[in-house]
Amino acid sequence: MDSHSPKLTDSVSLPEHLDATKTFIGIGVVGLIASFVGFFLDSKQFFFSYLTSFTFFSSIALASLVLLMIHHVTKSSWGTVIRRIPEAFVSKLWVWALFFLPVIFGITSLYKWTNEAYVANDPILLGKQAYLNDIFFIVRQVLYFSIWGYFGYRLHKVSVEMDRTNDWGLTILLRKISAPGIPIFALTVAFASFDWLMSLDAHWFSTMFGVYFFAMSFQAIFPVLILFTFWFHSKGLLKNTIRQSHIYDMGAWFFGFTVFYAYIAFSQFLLIYYANIPEETLWFYHRMEGSWSFITYLLLAGRFALPFVIFLNRDRKHSRTLLGIVSVLILALHFVELHWIVMPTLHHHGMSLSWLDITTFFGLGGVFMGLFFMMLKKNNLVPVHDPGLKPSLAKEYHQ
Amino acid sequence: MSTESKSLYGILAEVKNPKKLIDIASAVERGGYRKFDTFSPFPIHGMDKAMSLKKSKLGWIVLGHGIAGLIGGFSMIYFMSVADYPLNISGKPFMNIPAWVPILFELTVLLSAFGAVFGMFFLNGLPRLNHPLFNSENFKKATDNGFFICIESEDPKFDRTEVQKLLEDHGAENIEEIYPD
Amino acid sequence: MSKTYEYVPEPALVKGNHDFGSITRLVTDINLRPTPKAWYIVFGISNLLLFVLLASIGYLIWQGTGIWGLNSTVNWGWAIINFVWWVGIGHAGTLISAILFLFRQNWRTAINRFAEAMTIFAVMCAGIFPAIHVGRIWVIYWVFPVPNSMAMWPNFNSPLLWDVFAISTYLTVSFLFWYVGLVPDFATLRDRIKSKFGKIAYGIAALGWRGSNRHWWNYEKAYMILAGLATPLVLSVHTIVSFDFAVSVIPGWHTTIFPPYFVAGAVFSGFAMVLTLMIIVRKIYGLEEIMTDDHIEKMNIIILVTGSMVGFAYLMEFFIAWYGQVEYEKAIFILRATGPYAWAYWIMITCNVLSPQFFWSKKLRRHVGFTFFISIVVNIGMWFERFVITVTSLSTDFLPSSWGYYSPTMWDMLTYLGTFGLFGTFFLLFLRFLPMIAVAELKGAMPQADPHNYNDEGEYAPHEEIIPEPKRSY
Repeated sequence: MDSHSPKLTDSVSLPEHLDATKTFIGIGVVGLIASFVGFFLDSKQFFFSYLTSFTFFSSIALASLVLLMIHHVTKSSWGTVIRRIPEAFVSKLWVWALFFLPVIFGITSLYKWTNEAYVANDPILLGKQAYLNDIFFIVRQVLYFSIWGYFGYRLHKVSVEMDRTNDWGLTILLRKISAPGIPIFALTVAFASFDWLMSLDAHWFSTMFGVYFFAMSFQAIFPVLILFTFWFHSKGLLKNTIRQSHIYDMGAWFFGFTVFYAYIAFSQFLLIYYANIPEETLWFYHRMEGSWSFITYLLLAGRFALPFVIFLNRDRKHSRTLLGIVSVLILALHFVELHWIVMPTLHHHGMSLSWLDITTFFGLGGVFMGLFFMMLKKNNLVPVHDPGLKPSLAKEYHQ
Repeated sequence: MSTESKSLYGILAEVKNPKKLIDIASAVERGGYRKFDTFSPFPIHGMDKAMSLKKSKLGWIVLGHGIAGLIGGFSMIYFMSVADYPLNISGKPFMNIPAWVPILFELTVLLSAFGAVFGMFFLNGLPRLNHPLFNSENFKKATDNGFFICIESEDPKFDRTEVQKLLEDHGAENIEEIYPD
Repeated sequence: MSKTYEYVPEPALVKGNHDFGSITRLVTDINLRPTPKAWYIVFGISNLLLFVLLASIGYLIWQGTGIWGLNSTVNWGWAIINFVWWVGIGHAGTLISAILFLFRQNWRTAINRFAEAMTIFAVMCAGIFPAIHVGRIWVIYWVFPVPNSMAMWPNFNSPLLWDVFAISTYLTVSFLFWYVGLVPDFATLRDRIKSKFGKIAYGIAALGWRGSNRHWWNYEKAYMILAGLATPLVLSVHTIVSFDFAVSVIPGWHTTIFPPYFVAGAVFSGFAMVLTLMIIVRKIYGLEEIMTDDHIEKMNIIILVTGSMVGFAYLMEFFIAWYGQVEYEKAIFILRATGPYAWAYWIMITCNVLSPQFFWSKKLRRHVGFTFFISIVVNIGMWFERFVITVTSLSTDFLPSSWGYYSPTMWDMLTYLGTFGLFGTFFLLFLRFLPMIAVAELKGAMPQADPHNYNDEGEYAPHEEIIPEPKRSY
């Protein structure tokens, strides 16, 4: 093979029969209706389940967003062939924002700091009122989603425009959007994670929490990309475009960010465990007592130890079977970890899986994937005129 | 000199560039020679395929060392601060595993790095300060800008004239016979 | 080939018209030429400073830590500040060698040797401080798990002991990494040098390396594994240094963002130091064609990124100090910004957070003089960061009646100054006797080294890319 003049040989459009938009929207509607019934039965449980699922899918979109920005800024070529997947996740973030509304309606059920009588007797929460209050909370959410919505929309739009205009100069524009996007992303995601998750336990605080949320989301984005690649391949799509070398790369990145996630999660735990001061330790105490402790050890074993041991060997990073199994496991555990962050607020004494966790998951997941397929089918499956495509196609696997 | 054919180490030849070295190496490999080596100032991509090199065993050596570091470190800390002289440190359990992680990590990495470096030299048969090839004045270029191939006399297929011819046919220059001291 | 698949190429690694031989000569001739006079002068100055260091340490051992400016609340002063500062600087080398290697950033080959050397010497300077600050230096071996007269073992729960393991592992692994990279270049020097003594010395160091591709095969594997090991190691070292502070319950120290924040700060100061040295060295030794302006630009981008990360961490700390509503945390952060050490705090913010923001401008990050200036500013800022963390939290502790102002003495300053002598002495020896650029690696990264760039006749025929202008400017 002449590796210096690779050509795009695959078809780059999603065949009609593979367009799952309607199926997913259907699942979403059914799931959301079922969840709505649950709202009348147990509204508190509904809001907590809804928040967990919403955070899960948002974290995938947010990790896609920052992955794209880093891709553009570093001019990295390996990711060009799979770029349309994260692009399809982020381009409709502004629509996705509407699904945050139920959380806003539920803030009184979710967050104790909204209860004025309760706050009045709690000097700590009284002190936080300047930040933790209904109005400012809503203002912040509007701000976050407009920023993310803007960046997601633009990054997708410009990239797709390159397909049409065939002007490689648009990559310069993408870079110019992404560079300031990264620090803005860092700040908004950190504060969003404080708002959505950390303030559930309004007394608790950890400066690392934003980084921790980012680390777990970013670890989970690679399994998403790997699974979509396998799905494309199983349907005979992009077989000569996303090649073994790209799968290996995704495996390697996944491995690297598994270690990074473990590093961040462990550092946060160790510092709080070691110092053992009540205002911080309580959060971990709730999660290491009773049946919640089972989840804690499951996360340690499944989200770090197992993938670490498996993928320590270079060759296994291109084993499709292992990558597939571990990807499913990681995505499942990403949900479990968010559940483990959110739910002990509601169920102190032990884990509990409500049917609402499942219906909200399918409801929001259906909508999220529906939006994804809508954007995926509209455009080419790879950015055909991107100057990074050729080196990306030329990537060889070096033993 | 030529009568002592037994003491001949091998035949050394020079080529112009990395591409030609790869070509000649695969020709020699296809010719059925096994005891030969190529020399270049830097590693050349694709040479492993041209020379049919087997996968390096180094990874396993490193893994062994890493596990030794981890288990050794754990046993050491366990013996010293649980078995031999337990001390109550700020009310933490004696088996304070989260607090041991930093040292366990460092010891694992330290031993693995020893495995990687010393294992590599061991697999390469280094240090070996003298070598028949160093008798060639021309071979000094191998660490500068020269690309060499040497077919050793120990190879069962080795035949002086045939080897000479094979190398010449593939455009090698400065062909010389290498004798140990 | 259709124009649509054109690629924006990376700038060439080596400028000018070089082949393998000329690269060898350009780099190794520096070691083979007679020593320049200026080298002796600078070496002499470094020796003098080294003497200052030795004298200060001698006096310290004789007299005790009372010669320093420590007082009853500020019982950790310049010694810990200098330690963290030097260790931080010592992070760039391994980062460049290992992390950039794993990210396949070939441009690292021009600067990695140089940065690794700097790392090793910086860690040596750092290691001095914890050793000498213990007071009874003659029992420093108690930090190692060796049997002693009290039948006690070191406390494995103590972050200070983690430090001992982290720093010594880091120094060892960095040295091994550096040496493995040096072996092929030692062989080059062995084959080029004329003097008999030089031949023997470089010959022993080269361990008989002869460029065999069977050897390179294991060598590349070893290098890859070492890079894989050194990457988490480099993160762990400054993480553990941050634990020294963060596992305590001192306000301003105990905050969970410390590990990644310290690592980012370390990379930040390390890259700045590499730039400071590189800009001087490439000028003096005429290596501008290898250490190019493109390198400076890339390093400035890393400085911008890590500087902003540090800024992010400052913001998080400040916000959570308020958000946590813990009285002592709030107080210490307000005291940092407005209290007796506010001057240090604002120096820190200006140097670390604001000054790298200039590098958003492409013009400035390619400006050599400006980069040199900022690289020094950054390291001043990073010194003050450690000063602010250490001194503000200690000098205003829980009991206001014991608050006081901390000032260093002459001996604090002389010891710190002296470490530059140690650093300079070793660094100059390195410049004089070892190839300051990884010659073998650099050659391997040149387009001539890639067999794909040759045609079927075996002639060098690099692939020419013709890039059209963008249709309009964006």
